[in-house]
Amino acid sequence: MSSKRHSILPPVSQSGPKPPVHFSSSITIADSALLIGTNLIVIHSESVIHPRAKLDSLAGRITVGRRCIVHERATLGAVGTSGKITEAAVTLGDYVTVEVGASIEAGETVIGEGTVVGVGARVGAGAVVGKHCTLTPHTEIAAGEVVPDFTVVYSNGMRRTDKRGVAELKNKGQARQIDVLRRMIPSNPAKFA
Amino acid sequence: MAALTPYTYIQCPCSDSSTLGRSSGPNSPTGSEGDEDDRTFDPRAPRSNYSLYPLEYLLYCEDCHQIRCPRCVSEEIVTYYCPNCLFEVPSSTIKSEGNRCTRSCFQCPICIGPLAVTSVETKPDPGLLAATDNTAAPHSGPYALTCSYCNWSSTEVGIKFDKPNSIHAQLAKLRNGGTTRLTAKERKERRKDPSYRSQAAATTGSEGGAGPGKEEKLDLETQFANLKSFYQRQLADPNSADTGLASLSDLGFSSPTSLSRIMSIYTGGSLQDKKAKSRVGAMREALESDEGLQIADLDESAAIDKLQTDGHDGTASTAQLLDQIPNLGEAHLHGRSRFLSELRPIPYLLRAKRSKRCPVCRHIISKPEAKIQTTRFRIRLVAGSYIPSLAIRPLSLSSASSTSSSGASVPGALLEPLKPTHFLLTFRNPIFDTIKVTLGAPAKTPGRFPSKVTVLCPEFEIDANTDVWDEALKDSGERERERERERRARRGGFEESTTTSSSNNHNNNNNNNAQNQLEVGKIWERGRNWVSIVVEVVPPSLKLGDSTGDGGGVLREDEDVLEIPMFVRVEWESEGGGDEVAVAARDTSGGSKEAREKRELAYWCVLGLGRIRRS
Repeated sequence: MSSKRHSILPPVSQSGPKPPVHFSSSITIADSALLIGTNLIVIHSESVIHPRAKLDSLAGRITVGRRCIVHERATLGAVGTSGKITEAAVTLGDYVTVEVGASIEAGETVIGEGTVVGVGARVGAGAVVGKHCTLTPHTEIAAGEVVPDFTVVYSNGMRRTDKRGVAELKNKGQARQIDVLRRMIPSNPAKFA
Repeated sequence: MAALTPYTYIQCPCSDSSTLGRSSGPNSPTGSEGDEDDRTFDPRAPRSNYSLYPLEYLLYCEDCHQIRCPRCVSEEIVTYYCPNCLFEVPSSTIKSEGNRCTRSCFQCPICIGPLAVTSVETKPDPGLLAATDNTAAPHSGPYALTCSYCNWSSTEVGIKFDKPNSIHAQLAKLRNGGTTRLTAKERKERRKDPSYRSQAAATTGSEGGAGPGKEEKLDLETQFANLKSFYQRQLADPNSADTGLASLSDLGFSSPTSLSRIMSIYTGGSLQDKKAKSRVGAMREALESDEGLQIADLDESAAIDKLQTDGHDGTASTAQLLDQIPNLGEAHLHGRSRFLSELRPIPYLLRAKRSKRCPVCRHIISKPEAKIQTTRFRIRLVAGSYIPSLAIRPLSLSSASSTSSSGASVPGALLEPLKPTHFLLTFRNPIFDTIKVTLGAPAKTPGRFPSKVTVLCPEFEIDANTDVWDEALKDSGERERERERERRARRGGFEESTTTSSSNNHNNNNNNNAQNQLEVGKIWERGRNWVSIVVEVVPPSLKLGDSTGDGGGVLREDEDVLEIPMFVRVEWESEGGGDEVAVAARDTSGGSKEAREKRELAYWCVLGLGRIRRS
């Protein structure tokens, strides 16, 4: 039995021109990640981009902070309803996790440090999510909304403030997770350069 | 509009007796109440909602030979278990501890996600220490319950645990904020301690100022215990009993008071009355916290302040409050938790595995395995293996002439009003005997918009459900040949003019030239243990307004759904009490044995065919 898992999906088509990128040397980016668009994509040190994550810089610059994890099929810079072209489409702070299938729309959208964007969540264009927030699976943040720091947003719209004060601990956990992921995901930043 | 897939619901016969008792409201036609047999079952009657079940929901009693629905079985609890840890809880524990898991299973009070026990203490930096050191002392220090979904943690209500196990017992002793709750014994001992007295007085004096600051805050349990002991003392005390009994009327449960009451009865009524009047108010009420007095804390300014800072988002919803279990360690009724920040972890509610019995003959018709980890059943007599299943499929007769695509050819499509539509009903026989099915449907469906219904073949036989391999091995048997002959006869002389091909290509290829097969009294198609028949329906036009009869000119909810009530009568011969394998063997070899018994089963079912297009 081969240890390698084969995807049943067809290979990702890298259509259109390659976007200009600025990678730190320590990032991990899978071969089958999808980077499209015309503006700059910046990924800071030790961040991990999973296979089939989509970074679309068509509507502006995409910035991924340090030690971020962007999971499979997550979309950064989805051109939403507005379709405006701004200078900075999506900015992720440090230690941000964007989980599977989450979508962050383009248009000056900012995700603060240590925030977890849950599975299938959607962050509208121009929303500003504060630091150390938790967006639980399938939450929707409306366009232009400002979510204060340490907020837990539930998928039914309820909100709560996280008072645990374990941001430090979470960051350490993230660092360890990245250590593991680095061994699991074969990195190929040269493909996008 | 949402598409509607055709469905079949079966009416459990148990609801018949209940409808017999009284007329089923204004919907029942006035004349038909006298003769129950003639009454058409109305699927739209309000009562029908409670008696119609899909076949999968129904059970079958082998001894009574009757369908049993979830409403007409009696249930018995086999085991109680916690859905989280899957441990069985003995019923004696339930009586003493209640119906909650007393291990370490908790739900998040905010999002009801499962809580996990984690160490609060920050672990040493993994980068500095070797991995072996980490595993050597993996957990230490205080523990808290955390929700992995919404990041709630019991530290938010100030609850931390010393040990990672038996959280339930630890939580019972902890109040919100982490202060331990005292048992009655500890409280008593503590009160005797002079150093604590002075300390308590100092704290209450500093915060409360003047007034009844001496009173100690009692939680519900201690207050109840104090009050109870106080009143018992009052009643038992012979001096107070002499005066205090009358106010409690006949409630003398201590012997001296009962005696005095009886004595007063015999000594004369007038005297007793006079005495009673003088006694009122003589019984003392609780005066201090030792006796269970708790001054109501009406000062709610703290709560108001909190509401102003936290806003509406900070308050707990009704659902969250309902999930909270009464906490005996709670301070008092006043100041009951109303804020999110006061909610406590919810211990998991236990669940039960139930066995089901027939209410008539008490035979078990469903019994799950007592082991919690298994989902299997020891006994489960599902109706699907006793009564014929009924599948509905729209039948399109789209030969070249009718190209206008009678909408029903696609499942779930809207039905065109006033246009004959055909549906294929496939009855599948699950038992090992040949069954005879008789169908009865009203020519017009009940309701404001009656559809015309014609069952083209209301009486037919379905062959026994023999072994699949039996059929395969002797496929070219006599029966098959006979069937072939029948098929030929049905096609008649149209064999040569078969130019059009039917669109519904069934797995058996014998239904081409479909137009010619729609004959009354003929089976559409038959197989090993199934028979398909055709039902013709003419949906009504949903025109409103012209008749200002009942209900006015508004189309009510789901009134555009075409539902046909159908009475199904199944007759078969089986061996009395014999097992079915033997019966099946005999059945194939011919049949007429002396020990055979005639059985029949009759029930109403409702066929939901689809929605009618609104004009």
